[in-house]
Amino acid sequence: MRKTVALKSLTLVLTAMLFFGCNQANKKTDEQVANDTIAKVEQNTIDSLPAKDSTDKTTVVEPKKDVPNVLVYNFHITNRCASCIAIEEATTKTLKTYFSTELKQGRIKQYILNVDDDANEKISEKYQVFGSGLFVTRVYKGKETTTDMTGDGFKYARNKEEKFIEILKTKITEYLK
Amino acid sequence: MKKLAIISVLLIISLNIFAQKSNDTIISNNPQNLKLKVLYFHITNRCNTCISIEKYVRQTIDSNFANQLELGIIDLYVTNCDLPENQELVKKYEAYGATLAITPYINGKEGKSEDLSNWAFQKVHKPEVFMEELKSKINESIK
Repeated sequence: MRKTVALKSLTLVLTAMLFFGCNQANKKTDEQVANDTIAKVEQNTIDSLPAKDSTDKTTVVEPKKDVPNVLVYNFHITNRCASCIAIEEATTKTLKTYFSTELKQGRIKQYILNVDDDANEKISEKYQVFGSGLFVTRVYKGKETTTDMTGDGFKYARNKEEKFIEILKTKITEYLK
Repeated sequence: MKKLAIISVLLIISLNIFAQKSNDTIISNNPQNLKLKVLYFHITNRCNTCISIEKYVRQTIDSNFANQLELGIIDLYVTNCDLPENQELVKKYEAYGATLAITPYINGKEGKSEDLSNWAFQKVHKPEVFMEELKSKINESIK
């Protein structure tokens, strides 16, 4: 009888340990995935799409001053969640799919910025962003108009990407006019 | 050894109870009293911001509307939008990720929902502002 109780309790304790152990293991995997993604993002990053142009001096294009320009900011922290990564990916996809001409012209610029990085402190303060954030800013005749689309991003980007892309596309199109 | 077994079982049960409690939806299903549904949706793997929004929604309600929650004037839904059993609600509110919405009810009839997701993500980093503004929005809806 005692043996059976001892065996049962040992099984319970082992199950509990296995359960928590698995959770820990998953956490580590998530962090690794996040870090891998960050590394990948940082490579493509900041000014990402325009940056390609800026390395090639023959194709450098300055933003046009007489028409509205659009700045798209993807802010994130160092340890990113799935939604935050999805927002950036869907934003980049939107720009590449629907606004490649404006990107080449320099009318649209995308900035992917880590708010934990001291170098981004000023811009983070300007947008009052302390974590993940998506902001679209229209710049025309020295005037800036900004829409905070962070909520739309978190709501749709991961599980309903097409809806997010549609919302973002509409906003950028409106801001380019 | 028997004691150890009992302690292990109690520990596991208590952990499960606490885990559930933090995600509890609090609804009275009292259509006669119901004036407002506050709904917060989240995905399974949550970030700090998403967790904070839920925390401040709960704090706002606990601090200012505990009585209304008790009476069923306000129902609070905290829902994981990744779970199959919640898909009907997810579609209705287009809540495919972190989403905060409030829906007024007048004489048992459902009014137009207000999507507060963008607002929530803007204000969450200023908890006092978040809670004060949410309190006003709720007060407005249950007048």
